[in-house]
Amino acid sequence: MILLANGLTKTYPGARTPALSDFSLSLEAGEIVGLLGPNGAGKTTAISLMTGLLAPDSGTVHICGIDLFKRSRQARQWIGLVPQHIALYPNLTAAENLSYLGRMYRLSGRVLKERINICLEIVGLSSNARIRVAAYSGGMKRRANLAAAMLHEPRMLFLDEPTIGIDPQSRNMILDRLSDLSRSGTSMLYTTHYMEEAEKICSRVAIIDEGRIISQGSPEELINGHPGCDHLGAVFLQLTGKELRD
Amino acid sequence: MIPLLATMFKELLLLVRDRSGLLVLFVMPAVLVVVVSLVQENVLKATGETTMDILFVDQDHQNFGKRIQKELEESGAVKLLTTVDGQAIDAEQAQALVEKGRYQICIVIPSGTTEAVHQRAMDQISDAISGPSGVEKAALPHLVVYFDPLIQGAFRSSVLNALRQMLLVMELEMKARILAETLPVQFNLLLEALTGRPLTNPGSAPLFQMDAGWGTRRLMDVVAGQSRLKKLPTSVQHNVSAWAVFGMFFIVLPLGGVIIRERQDGTFVRLRTLPVPYLTILLGKLMAYVAVCWGQFLFIVLVGKLGLPLLGAPVLTLGSDPVALIVVVTFIALAACGYGIMLGTLARTFEQASMFGPVSVVCAAALGGIMVPVYVMPHLMQKISLFSPLAWGLNALVEIFVREGTLRSVLPELGYLTAFFAVTLIIAWAAFRRRDYQMGATAY
Repeated sequence: MILLANGLTKTYPGARTPALSDFSLSLEAGEIVGLLGPNGAGKTTAISLMTGLLAPDSGTVHICGIDLFKRSRQARQWIGLVPQHIALYPNLTAAENLSYLGRMYRLSGRVLKERINICLEIVGLSSNARIRVAAYSGGMKRRANLAAAMLHEPRMLFLDEPTIGIDPQSRNMILDRLSDLSRSGTSMLYTTHYMEEAEKICSRVAIIDEGRIISQGSPEELINGHPGCDHLGAVFLQLTGKELRD
Repeated sequence: MIPLLATMFKELLLLVRDRSGLLVLFVMPAVLVVVVSLVQENVLKATGETTMDILFVDQDHQNFGKRIQKELEESGAVKLLTTVDGQAIDAEQAQALVEKGRYQICIVIPSGTTEAVHQRAMDQISDAISGPSGVEKAALPHLVVYFDPLIQGAFRSSVLNALRQMLLVMELEMKARILAETLPVQFNLLLEALTGRPLTNPGSAPLFQMDAGWGTRRLMDVVAGQSRLKKLPTSVQHNVSAWAVFGMFFIVLPLGGVIIRERQDGTFVRLRTLPVPYLTILLGKLMAYVAVCWGQFLFIVLVGKLGLPLLGAPVLTLGSDPVALIVVVTFIALAACGYGIMLGTLARTFEQASMFGPVSVVCAAALGGIMVPVYVMPHLMQKISLFSPLAWGLNALVEIFVREGTLRSVLPELGYLTAFFAVTLIIAWAAFRRRDYQMGATAY
């Protein structure tokens, strides 16, 4: 088991209701699980807890069998995060950004150089490696953001809407690369509002609302389990309702 | 060690690419050192060392006016101008030029001053010997000085006092001369009255003669004590210390900005998922910016050593205890960086930090004696200045540069700087923990 989250509960200070309640999820090696939910459903809180950015009120998270909250440094070695924001230094080139992050994972010398080259190659940025990130297009930034997360060969990759705001070409490339990564054994937890993306690359989908997982299974299982729904988007709306969320 | 050095290298790389940041950190203090040193050097000259242009209108055209002109010119402190743009000026024109600020001082010797002064001296001596005559004396003549309205306080007083002192010497000399002329005549008349016969042949010199030169001989003088310091302080030493400290504290802007930007652009989230304690990353930043502060200091010292002498200012001397200097500069850098980290942690946006950071540093600089010496400030401000970290840094540097201080003599300032550094980090850490606690509500 690469990720084992068990009974995670989190209530923010001053809030009356928990943002996440008794959240449990497990991922096998190479599995891509989509975490879908409307705005404010608890997706970000779940990822924050599972990457160790937040401490839960109760519950545990194990990454590759290592307790994330007791041995966080060791567990984080296996975690990669693709945040929703472009979490790179705009005044550094892609290669410089990756070089810095690699050293934080204690990569150095030839190994680091090779990993930088491989990752930039994977995301199609080799020829733009020496250009500052600030000068990249939106799609290039997203791809660099992904390269930064997979530099240290994490076993568990958390992706928070990694394709938001980019053109279909870049999106297609990112999804292809994620599928490649999955085949090489990297597990992924993927949040998105694009249902067709989840349907395309996720082997399993968990739909979350009001801090709880309300349904999960493979996309086919979910579609078949909800009469009248012929695609994942319809299942999602049936489960979470059509009223607007803030 | 690798993450620490990697963070340090990354911060330096980011700073090198931030041109406006480099301008603020390196060019601004260097320009200030050059400009203010040269300006102060000129002020020192104007108030003592070399000439200052003063308009001089002599309406008297007799001994007294000429004597004042000669005395002033011989003093070497001023250059008297009796013409402007090749034209002779009268009192009214001179006054107008001073009021416009084209010249700072104008001296007018009114017409008839010599006669009036002489007459008053005669009258006073006559009264002293024979008793008050009851005859109405001539009015007290005035030497009129017009000042540029911008000249106030000590400089105005010192000019007036210098003129009064000069007049006093001239007056004393004149009284002595008239007394030397009058007293022998009076003495002979008295003897003739006592003996009942003339003592000398008419037309010959009186029996009793008096040296008029006694009036110019001093009874007492004031001298400035010799300093025990081997080298006397210069404006360059003060300004290099002052603006180096000022520039180092401006590190708050890029350092605070980096912390805020990391938080705003999401890089901070990635950093928090790294298998490295955030304290290590913070320490890497601190080391990078302390190194930058050292770079600033060395650059400003180079300007003082090599640049300013080319512009006519004295060469910078650094005192005699290099160890103390290294420790002091490092502690000033730590205090400045601690403030930057605190600002970066407390401020919610870059705009907040970029407003509050420089303004607070300029205020602390003004209070700390960077711009105006603390001893000329009002009492309350002097007390407040004790709490300016820039004052602690400046005092420690001046102690080493000017007073040849040692590590022991700057211990109090080092203590204050350390305490300031510790307090800023504690506040930053508390704010960081508080934000950490609330963080999940808006982002990761």
